[in-house]
Amino acid sequence: MTEEEKRSLIQKIKENLSDFIYGMASHEATRQALKTRGSMEHLFILITMGDLLGVPILPPYYSLRLLPYVVPQISTWKRRMLREKDLVDALA
Amino acid sequence: MAFWTLLITIVIVILGYRYYTNRVDQQIVAADPKRATPAKMYNDGVDFMPASGSVLFGYQFKSIAALGPIVGPITAVQWGWLPAVLWLIVGVFFIGWVQDYASAMMAMRNDGMTMGGLAYKYISPRARGILLSFLYFYLLLIMGAFGAVVAGLLAAPTVPIGFLILTLAGVLAGQMTYRWRMDLVMTTVVTVLIALVGIWLGTMPWAQSIVKAINGMAGNAEGVLYSTPYGPMKWSVWFWGIIALVFTYFGSVLPIWRFAQPVNYVSFWFVMLGIVGSILGVIIATFTGATGVSFEIPAYIAFNNHLGPLWPILFVTISCGAISGWHSLVSTSGTARQLEKETDAKPVTAGAMYTEAVLAVLAVVFAATAIAKADGSVLYDAANGYKLSVGAGGIWIYGMARFLSVVGIPADLGGAIGGIFLAVMALTVMQLVLRFMRVASAELLGDKIIAFKNPHVGSLVAIAFTLLILWTAFWQRIWVLFGGANQLFAGLALLLVTIWLANEGKKYEWVFWPGVFMYVTTVAALLITAWKSFSAAFAPDTAAAFMVGNLIAGLIGLFLAIAALILAWDGWKSLSTARSKMAAAPSGD
Amino acid sequence: MSLAKVFRENPNRRYIMFGGKGGLGKTTFSAATAYWLAKQGKRVLVFSVDPQASLSDIFKQDIYGKGAVEIMPNLYAQEIDADQHIREYQDQIRKKILDMYGFDKIPDEIESYIQAASAEPAMEESAIFDQVVDIVVAGEFDYYIYDLVPLGHALYYLSMASVYDQWISKITKLREEMREYEQMAARLSRKSELQEDEILRELQDIRYRISTSSSILTDREKTAFFFVLVPEEMILIDTQNAASLFRKYDVPLSGYIVNRVIPDELIAKGNIPPYLRNRHAMQKKYLQKIDELFGKDVLARVEEMERDIAGLSMIEKMAQAMFGEETL
Ligand SMILES: Nc1ncnc2c1ncn2[C@@H]1O[C@H](COP(=O)(O)OP(=O)(O)OP(=O)(O)O)[C@@H](O)[C@H]1O
Ligand SMILES: [Mg+2]
Repeated sequence: MTEEEKRSLIQKIKENLSDFIYGMASHEATRQALKTRGSMEHLFILITMGDLLGVPILPPYYSLRLLPYVVPQISTWKRRMLREKDLVDALA
Repeated sequence: MAFWTLLITIVIVILGYRYYTNRVDQQIVAADPKRATPAKMYNDGVDFMPASGSVLFGYQFKSIAALGPIVGPITAVQWGWLPAVLWLIVGVFFIGWVQDYASAMMAMRNDGMTMGGLAYKYISPRARGILLSFLYFYLLLIMGAFGAVVAGLLAAPTVPIGFLILTLAGVLAGQMTYRWRMDLVMTTVVTVLIALVGIWLGTMPWAQSIVKAINGMAGNAEGVLYSTPYGPMKWSVWFWGIIALVFTYFGSVLPIWRFAQPVNYVSFWFVMLGIVGSILGVIIATFTGATGVSFEIPAYIAFNNHLGPLWPILFVTISCGAISGWHSLVSTSGTARQLEKETDAKPVTAGAMYTEAVLAVLAVVFAATAIAKADGSVLYDAANGYKLSVGAGGIWIYGMARFLSVVGIPADLGGAIGGIFLAVMALTVMQLVLRFMRVASAELLGDKIIAFKNPHVGSLVAIAFTLLILWTAFWQRIWVLFGGANQLFAGLALLLVTIWLANEGKKYEWVFWPGVFMYVTTVAALLITAWKSFSAAFAPDTAAAFMVGNLIAGLIGLFLAIAALILAWDGWKSLSTARSKMAAAPSGD
Repeated sequence: MSLAKVFRENPNRRYIMFGGKGGLGKTTFSAATAYWLAKQGKRVLVFSVDPQASLSDIFKQDIYGKGAVEIMPNLYAQEIDADQHIREYQDQIRKKILDMYGFDKIPDEIESYIQAASAEPAMEESAIFDQVVDIVVAGEFDYYIYDLVPLGHALYYLSMASVYDQWISKITKLREEMREYEQMAARLSRKSELQEDEILRELQDIRYRISTSSSILTDREKTAFFFVLVPEEMILIDTQNAASLFRKYDVPLSGYIVNRVIPDELIAKGNIPPYLRNRHAMQKKYLQKIDELFGKDVLARVEEMERDIAGLSMIEKMAQAMFGEETL
């Protein structure tokens, strides 16, 4: 094993270890924060792009202005709205 | 002996992972690194979010390794240490990882569906409802079993003050990261130090004397309030149990980032310290003789003890470490929706499960190497068939104290650290459960009983149930029931996976037989425990509280067994359908 | 107080509006005021949000949908074509989406959303609203003269502004809260670089535009609102009602202008048809009433002219009738 390889191996072990510790210590909290943010994002799309579901709330002129930014989220949003929720989801 | 047991376990675990698990992953399930996972496909920033394998390994391990792998083995050495170790090793090798891994794969290949949806799809429409009601009572049992353990832990004189200060440090950590937006490293250093000083203060004689004064505030000289058929009810356990429930309640109603999460976070660093330190302690003690490492509990004691026959009761007493149904919930609802590669499933789920088995063996070591404290007080009563004479928490605290002192941590401090983080672990699960209860009881029972539509009623029922367990002092019975429900849930998960594999035209025997074993064992265990509970309820001269408690326990056991049998019946039918399909069409691989 | 004096004494009132019931002379007064100001070297834009396009009529020139058209030095007129504006706007949005994501084609789902949003009745209103904001926020002119559609619409415009404003501030708050959680997650996972939330930026911009435009409308320092009325009973009652409504919305009233007054000299000439004589008599009665009610706030009485006002020379005549020989 060359010096170079050794160093990159040590580097990799370090990274994995710190990932592992992060995973134990605060990944769940990070995920919860992102989850909260994500569901607010979906609420946001509902408010601004609500016409998609037939409930216009924001003046349509302005919702069009926001449209470009939510293009990627629209399909996941729709899927999440339509997906059947299971009680067990509440445990995750 | 302790060291060798740990070493053998580790070797077998590595072999299992390298050979058996690898083969299943590559040849039967055929995990494909290129196949898009739900986390990638549906990344919606809410339910589905990809994360790296090493992060998820940590996440999975933390989510599965709570109280189970510690309290279970400590209780189970009442049959001798060998059956416990054997079940842990053989169980994790053939059953444990299979469930965790396969249920994650099943969820991933089914668009990230969770257990309810999968039961509906693969078994029958009514299976979903039965599974959810099963889950409800199963979680109720977690509340009771864990609540009792926490009460026991807090009653230890070195624990409560440190626990309170750690909780405050946790609340401070929440305030620092979320409100004051301070850096995480800074927050961690400050709050962990505060907690450490707090735990240390809690072990000071004056602090202990405060707790002892509280513990002695009611009851007779020994603090006994009244006696129960399961042993004396101490005022201390009663009092600290209520404190534990207050914490659980706050944790479940306050915003998660205010209380539950940051307290758990601060405590996590003590978990690390405790586990790593005590493993080191075991190793060092083996070679230096710093503390006793030979097993004082016999390898085998007797087939029958006060909990029941070794088979099936031991297999549900060790409710985690060999296998646990809880893991299938974590795998399907949490992990399967975050795995970014199919090939990460093996290290994350199977890897975490094998690691947990090692932790459980460590708990056996703690229990088996000391049956009496240095001051002569009895832990396992050798004269009475090695019957556990303190709470499981007491054994854990003493084990931690002994092995951490080997690496230089004062015994009282080490014990307090172990006791506190175990209490926080248990409370974290209880808070999660109580949160869930609020939603679940409204949804499951709201239609039939209007009162349950109010979410607080759900919380109150769970809390009342836990109190009943505390007051009637039969935590070991509830522990066995909880273990039964937990292991039966694992059986259900294995059944589901079997049907899924059959539908996919894949080999399923490696899941089917473990499933059958779990089913038969746990239904038997539940029926035995139900019967024991009923006979205790109707024994002459039973006080009303014990009658009610036993009746409830018996009914829950009976209900769980019946629900499982219905599910098995429906499952068998769908398995047959899948098999005939499989026979008709030649399989894809 | 004369009309010219109001302008002279309040040089900051650069947003001028004439309100009143339909057909009383709002467009006429707007054009004449613009003319008067432009003649004195002020850059003036008179614009209309009225799809009925009466500015084109009065200037005898088709300016519909052509942006700000120069009518004479310093005098610009603009008639907003909402449909055209919406079309252009849609194209802008499409282009932005294509650029942002490197698509060759707008995804069907998104395209149908754009179509659906544009077909909504509220679209036209909000498009016009936004265009007015555009004009006002740009700030290129010394004076802006709004040729408002009848009263109800003016009020609607104002109420829309406050409703929009409330909505946007709610949404902005939601967005800011989301930002909090995002930062929370970043701190926990120790990732420092966070992307700027472009939606939040857009929202803040939208909010700025709406509030600037609605605050202008209700700013006594900057805005002059004149009521146009004629000496007739019904109009008098309506004007009173409207004036109290405007007060409710905090629209600062600068005064009243009475239009279509039949000149006394004409009646004095004799040899006039009786219906005219009768109308004159009736007007006398209501003029007196107007003076009693509004007193000093009546800034001008404009006589009935011999024919419709159209073309610059008639407009000049009208300006003379409104302002006399006075200057700024
Ligand atoms: N003083 C006047 N003498 C003669 N004709 C007038 C006078 N004032 C206005 N008119 C004419 O009355 C008609 C309506 O006037 P104008 O278009 O200005 O009213 P408006 O209030 O803007 O109406 P709308 O509410 O429809 O926009 C026009 O044909 C205009 O030329
Ligand atoms: Mg007009």
